[in-house]
Amino acid sequence: MSSTITKLNAPLTQAFDFQPSSESHTTPTPTRNSLAQQVAGFETLTNALEYAAQGLTGYNFYNAKGNLQSVLPYSLLRKNAREIAQRLSGFNLARGSRVAIIADTSPEFIELFFACRYAGLVPFAMPVPVNLGSHGIYVQQLKGMLESSHASLAFANIDYINFLEEAAEKTTQQLKWVGTPVQLRELPAKEVTLQSNSPEEVAYLQFTSGSTRMPRGVVITEHALMCNLQGIVRNGLEIRPGDRSASWLPFYHDMGLVGLVLAPMVTQLSVDYLATRDFAIRPLQWLRLISRNRCTVAFSQPFGLKLCTMRVRESDLKDLDLSCWRAAGIGAEMIRPDTLRNFAEKFSSAGFNGSAFLPCYGLAESTLAVTFSKIGNGFRSIQIDSKTLIDKRKAVKLQADGRKFNEFVNCGRPLPEHTVKIVDENGQQLEERMVGSVLVQGASIMTGYYNNPEETHKALKPGNWLDTGDIGFLYEGDLYITGRKTDVIIVNGRNIRAQDIEELAEQQPEVRSREASAFGVNDADGTTTIVLVIECRLTSLTERHSLIKRLQQLVYMAFGVNCIVELVPPHTLPRTSSGKLSRFAARQGYIQRTNLDDQLSVVESGDR
Amino acid sequence: MTESNYDEIMRLLCDRLSSLTNSEVTITADTNLISELSIDSIKLLNLIMEIEDTFDISIPINALADVQTVHELASLISKIKSTH
Repeated sequence: MSSTITKLNAPLTQAFDFQPSSESHTTPTPTRNSLAQQVAGFETLTNALEYAAQGLTGYNFYNAKGNLQSVLPYSLLRKNAREIAQRLSGFNLARGSRVAIIADTSPEFIELFFACRYAGLVPFAMPVPVNLGSHGIYVQQLKGMLESSHASLAFANIDYINFLEEAAEKTTQQLKWVGTPVQLRELPAKEVTLQSNSPEEVAYLQFTSGSTRMPRGVVITEHALMCNLQGIVRNGLEIRPGDRSASWLPFYHDMGLVGLVLAPMVTQLSVDYLATRDFAIRPLQWLRLISRNRCTVAFSQPFGLKLCTMRVRESDLKDLDLSCWRAAGIGAEMIRPDTLRNFAEKFSSAGFNGSAFLPCYGLAESTLAVTFSKIGNGFRSIQIDSKTLIDKRKAVKLQADGRKFNEFVNCGRPLPEHTVKIVDENGQQLEERMVGSVLVQGASIMTGYYNNPEETHKALKPGNWLDTGDIGFLYEGDLYITGRKTDVIIVNGRNIRAQDIEELAEQQPEVRSREASAFGVNDADGTTTIVLVIECRLTSLTERHSLIKRLQQLVYMAFGVNCIVELVPPHTLPRTSSGKLSRFAARQGYIQRTNLDDQLSVVESGDR
Repeated sequence: MTESNYDEIMRLLCDRLSSLTNSEVTITADTNLISELSIDSIKLLNLIMEIEDTFDISIPINALADVQTVHELASLISKIKSTH
């Protein structure tokens, strides 16, 4: 990209002998380190980096063609981050002030992130724009995050700075400075001794929703982060010498940042990065990186695996050797067994071993991870009788062939010093196999949502139990997720999973996955009606009418209830930063469109 | 950018778009990619891959935020190509 060339040609400040991380390199950092591996157990992020910087390993960035573009060994990251921290100190901000950074997959983002920690500031990652024509919505999102975080500084690379400046102009938030990392280097540095951080300090904020109206910044302390990272690398992944990671996950997503930037650093692993956009266009490049650099640990959302299955050509398989991949972590959205089966079937001839599948469950409110399945065992699933699940909210294994069932993926057990329990609507703990809300307790839990006591109060229950908003059950000690809380629609005393209705819609050739949202709305006398909103590309009126009719018929046939089907243009349904559909927000949108505003207060229970 | 360059890109785009979308809409410079052609994310990824391979360019993700019509996409490609 031309901006990279601009960056390379930019005048560099001589005073600190700043070595640009974007310099072209021919060899990536090695897998084998000169330093003895310490698998987590650090007190703070900067402590961990001080250790990692003594070795040879680090981060490597590849371009769309799979060529190595820049290398950032931990030693250089430490040096650059400390120098940038001196410049950040020049702003004379109070310790703990928030710093917004648009997080493209670049060395500059990581340098700024760690510079903030060295300077005692709290960084947070903001997304990059991804959709066609999304300029306006994107600027609104940025503005929402700047305001919600009360940010003091905001950074973006040259590719995104115009969006950030636009958001900064519109915001009521008093920003001290907005600019690029290159512009920051032109500012004078302040000669200060960098102070060490304490475990109780806030390490970063993580925004969980792309909602423009109410973005929520999860507050994670150094202590919570270090606990979660330790659980992930010791118990979840059993990291050992010889491991290496590859990732396309965005740095603004908790799995991308905590799982594939910070977790490798606290174990001194080398990582090979591909920008999310480059992965989405050519998913093969990610698999090539794994194959070529003999990577052992690489995570993806189920959707990423689907892209690989769908878009990699059969003829490309013979050049891949994925036998090195021992931990194929899957998380961040509901895992459907078929997604994993299809992937394994397609890539087994390229050496992919199904035992590498590592389903896990987590959320940003618990730093990242809550449960991991047993590494090396592949994925396990369970077939549950649908009728008993709906009528009695109980998970009973399918007894006889021919009965309807739901299949759920085993997400494993909680990390050490974490507990998962299932509760009913009144907060009473349920026994094994009963379906209810998933609550988590442990050291990784967030402090709260930044400056948002109301939302914090809703999520953190007495005893510091985090209500995850997910629904699931425990079976022989293992966690199974069945849906989100907003997913259960109660019609005439029957629990219907919104997910089931959406799945029905997604089976239609006109509807793509993740483009259907189902929820319930109540009328004046408390009767619930199911609404199914579909992002629809059909232009012909006859075709649209036929789709609506067919869906209503199918829902009636499957669940015995009537439903309203609304077809909306693509990109109408609200999504979270990880691309999940938000049913709650989808329903709010529907209610606004149909002028049912006064119904908002009487939606069914169990909603957030 | 030269006129012929833009025209060539426009012709190629219209051709690719009509086979990608299978729609009855007649594609012109003003056709809206989202509302009229209903380009979804998977189709968009395919289209970008083809454009990049055909013209040997890289389309930065930030530029797509300002693209809604066929004309805007053609201009973007033409601009990238001329500075390439």
